[in-house]
Amino acid sequence: MFLTIRGIRKSFGAGESRVEVLKGLDLEVRKGEFCVLLGPSGSGKSTLLNIIGGIDGADEGSITIDGERLENMNEKKLSLYRRKHLGYIFQMYNLIPNLTVRENVEVGAYLSDHPLDVDELLHTLGIYDQQKKLPNQLSGGQQQRTAIGRAIVKNPDILLCDEPTGALDYNTSKEILKLIETVNQKYGNTIIMVTHNDAIKDMADRVVRLRDGMIRKNYCNEQKIPAAELEW
Amino acid sequence: MKNPLRKRVLRELREEIGKYLVVFILLVTTIGFVSGFLVADGSMIKAYNESFEKYRIEDGNFRTADEIHLSQRQQIEAEGVKIYDNFYIETGMDNDSTLRIFQNREDVDLVCLMQGEFPQAADEIAIDRMYADNNDLTVGDTLTRDDRAWTITGLVALSDYSALFQNNNDSMFDSIKFGVAIVTKDGFSQLNQDLLQYNYSWIYEEKPKTEKEEKERSEDLMKAIGKVAALEDFIPQYLNQAIHFTGDDMGGDRAMMLMLLYIVIVIMAFVFGITISNTIRKEAGVIGTLRASGYTKEELIRHYMTLPIIVTLIGAAIGNLLGYTVFKDVCAEMYYGSYSLPTYVTIWNAEAFLLTTVVPLLIMLVVNYGILRHRLKLSPLKFLRRDLSGRKRRKAIYLSTKIRFFQRFQLRVIFQNMSNYIVMLVGILFANLLLMFGLLLPSTLAHYEKEVQENLLAEYQYLLTVPVSAVSGNKLDEAFALLDFYLGTKTRNEDAEKFSVYALNTLPEKYKSEEILLYGIIPKSSYIQTDFEEDGVYISRSYAEKYRLKEGDTITLKEKYEDDTYSFRIAGIYEYTASLCVFMPQEELNKTFSLGDEYFSGYFSAAPITDIKEKYIGSVLDADALTKITRQLTVSMGGMMGLVNGFAVLIFVVLIYLLSKIIIEKNAQAISMTKILGYTNGEISRLYIVSTSIVVVVCLLVSLPVERWVMEILFREMMLASISGWITLWVDPMIYVEMFAAGAGSYLVVAFLEYRRIRRVPMDEALKNVE
Repeated sequence: MFLTIRGIRKSFGAGESRVEVLKGLDLEVRKGEFCVLLGPSGSGKSTLLNIIGGIDGADEGSITIDGERLENMNEKKLSLYRRKHLGYIFQMYNLIPNLTVRENVEVGAYLSDHPLDVDELLHTLGIYDQQKKLPNQLSGGQQQRTAIGRAIVKNPDILLCDEPTGALDYNTSKEILKLIETVNQKYGNTIIMVTHNDAIKDMADRVVRLRDGMIRKNYCNEQKIPAAELEW
Repeated sequence: MKNPLRKRVLRELREEIGKYLVVFILLVTTIGFVSGFLVADGSMIKAYNESFEKYRIEDGNFRTADEIHLSQRQQIEAEGVKIYDNFYIETGMDNDSTLRIFQNREDVDLVCLMQGEFPQAADEIAIDRMYADNNDLTVGDTLTRDDRAWTITGLVALSDYSALFQNNNDSMFDSIKFGVAIVTKDGFSQLNQDLLQYNYSWIYEEKPKTEKEEKERSEDLMKAIGKVAALEDFIPQYLNQAIHFTGDDMGGDRAMMLMLLYIVIVIMAFVFGITISNTIRKEAGVIGTLRASGYTKEELIRHYMTLPIIVTLIGAAIGNLLGYTVFKDVCAEMYYGSYSLPTYVTIWNAEAFLLTTVVPLLIMLVVNYGILRHRLKLSPLKFLRRDLSGRKRRKAIYLSTKIRFFQRFQLRVIFQNMSNYIVMLVGILFANLLLMFGLLLPSTLAHYEKEVQENLLAEYQYLLTVPVSAVSGNKLDEAFALLDFYLGTKTRNEDAEKFSVYALNTLPEKYKSEEILLYGIIPKSSYIQTDFEEDGVYISRSYAEKYRLKEGDTITLKEKYEDDTYSFRIAGIYEYTASLCVFMPQEELNKTFSLGDEYFSGYFSAAPITDIKEKYIGSVLDADALTKITRQLTVSMGGMMGLVNGFAVLIFVVLIYLLSKIIIEKNAQAISMTKILGYTNGEISRLYIVSTSIVVVVCLLVSLPVERWVMEILFREMMLASISGWITLWVDPMIYVEMFAAGAGSYLVVAFLEYRRIRRVPMDEALKNVE
């Protein structure tokens, strides 16, 4: 198994205000799988994503990615781990405001010894013509395309997406989902996507439904629907 | 109900305590020092101004060859003045200094007793306090000259010698090798009366009301005295450097200090402005919501201005408190270290309070209000959308992809923070100007001293004095006196070479008139190597530099106490920097001033001349005499330079610390994101700190020629306004290295702090602010 999660627990706060967000999760994801984490607000899906991404630590449990255990890694090794294996896409894009579209993508490319061709990727993402613009000159969709470009240009093993369509309108959301689907198919990255949008589950290989810090459902879609055909 | 936003003020202060603390320290130090300076300066200027009346300072003095008798005195006093004897004897002391000894004054130029008591016995003396300090003398010590000894009973300030000028034409006073003292009437009569100088002070019966009137009256008086007595020297009070140099200098320092304060306040105001802009960017969503909810722009401006104003107000209050207590004494000591001032009483200075509290506060208010008004002019919707780019969307500056990614990233950081870097450049320019001044003065003085010593016209210049009896009016006396002078000034020294000298003054224009020495040189001189053209003179390098004269120009000089003027064409510049002088053939000089064919004024010599009568030697100009200006400036300003350097480094560190902190804060989210992506702290530091490092290095390098240029202007103005003579500005190349090293060293400390700050930026920063 490419990603194995065992007995993950995580709480915030202390004493009476202590809240247990993750209550002992187990999960396995295969290489190249498109996994969607669904659940209402406060269910712990973003926290789980952050722990997988190594930007937050679990109180208990273990995460193994391609044979490497995260809990044994120090800060430096975690940086290296993220650098080698992960790409991140956020709801609010988090582009670097003073870099152009191309340069934002190059921020990702710099981290890889064998990055994808930036020009080709910009074409694939449909933002080649915008490459000299700053983020504040772009629409939300274009900014998210840029964020996707930055995440996948280093061809990461895992692409972590935290509500990537949360701030976008219907049509743009579909465009972005199509793009993520294309990326998954073209480059074979494992994708873990957190979303509120129930419809997105239909395009995933695996659907994990969380509530109150526990996995309530974990199943594989026998028949996926292409992103272009999703409706909500 | 009170505005609930005010509750944020203390919290913001707690959160940003580091930033506010450094600004506070800088404000307290600057305001404290300037306030202390203004209080000391105000109190001392008041004491100095009051001393004219309190100590009955003369309206002028003159020296005659002989003692004036009653009828002469009556004729002079008929000009509306009262004449007072103020005789003195000048004598070399065993400690290698010269002391001008007066009989204690009772009617004019009264003496202020600073420590001990006035002399009571003939072998007792009270000496100038500064001269005492500089020669390690104190009450109870013994002062000796050959076989005579005086016990020092008191340290005093002579009201007509607040600056110890031996000669009114001197470039600078010399409180190390020259001093003044008073003895009793008995004590004075026991001094060598052959050295007695018939010096008289005058006081107008009715004081002139304007400087113009004072000038006219003094000119009339000089002519009147000249008619009845052989005048050797004549110094109206307004031209007397020993009296007025101190007051002029204190006034000049005051303007400089205020300028320093306001520059620091403006820089700090802009630092606050940039900080506030950063906060507005960070809190755009909140501002949008508040504005949409009905908060007015003015309410928000007031809110964001509160902290800078509170910090400035408290800084000014504590600064003033320190100014009146600690810094006042420091500043007073600086003045007492340079001038022989009488005692002073600290006076409450409302103007100092206004200038160091109200004005800084106003500057802070105006600058911050302007910045805030500009930043908050956008619509609430724009704030809600976090779109703060204004009407015009900013376009990216094109950078070729051929430039390596890291370098492009660093350039983008520079472009993004241009306003920070502009303030940084201004701050660095200002701090480096102070630093350059602090480092430059000692080295310029040392260089000047070395240059003077290496380029002496001769090792020794003997200036002769013609005996008074040679112009007594009695033909027989005159003939004998001249014969004795002729024989007594003959030398067998083979190195000796005769020269003539004549003193003229520059025309008083923008700056005060000063003495120019005209040397008459014999043909094929061994000391002045130049071939004179038929109708031209050579001027010294220092004269050319001070008055920006060049070959081919014409100079016009005037008789000091008369209106006759003389013009000369400059045939060339002679490499001599010790004084402002003109070189011309001796024959021509003697002819121009009708001195007679055989006239000469002294000798150049490579070795001491021992076979001429001592009584005919007026003065000997050697390296020691020509470098008194450097000695005095080193004593007067040496201590202050350390303070200036320290203050410059403080400004430098505070400014760079604040601005680089703002840059890191502004980019916290981007830094957090790059961490998430897997960039190491080292790489992130290279992206963000190296950008600032590049700017700091460029600013430092740019500042060097700019400082040199500005310093040239300031130094020139300083020399023209306050010093007779000229010191060439010389910047030791090591000063540039030291300035750069001080800047780079200070920055290294800041860079280390910034590296720690980058390490501390949490990764969840990128997950925040998702509005």
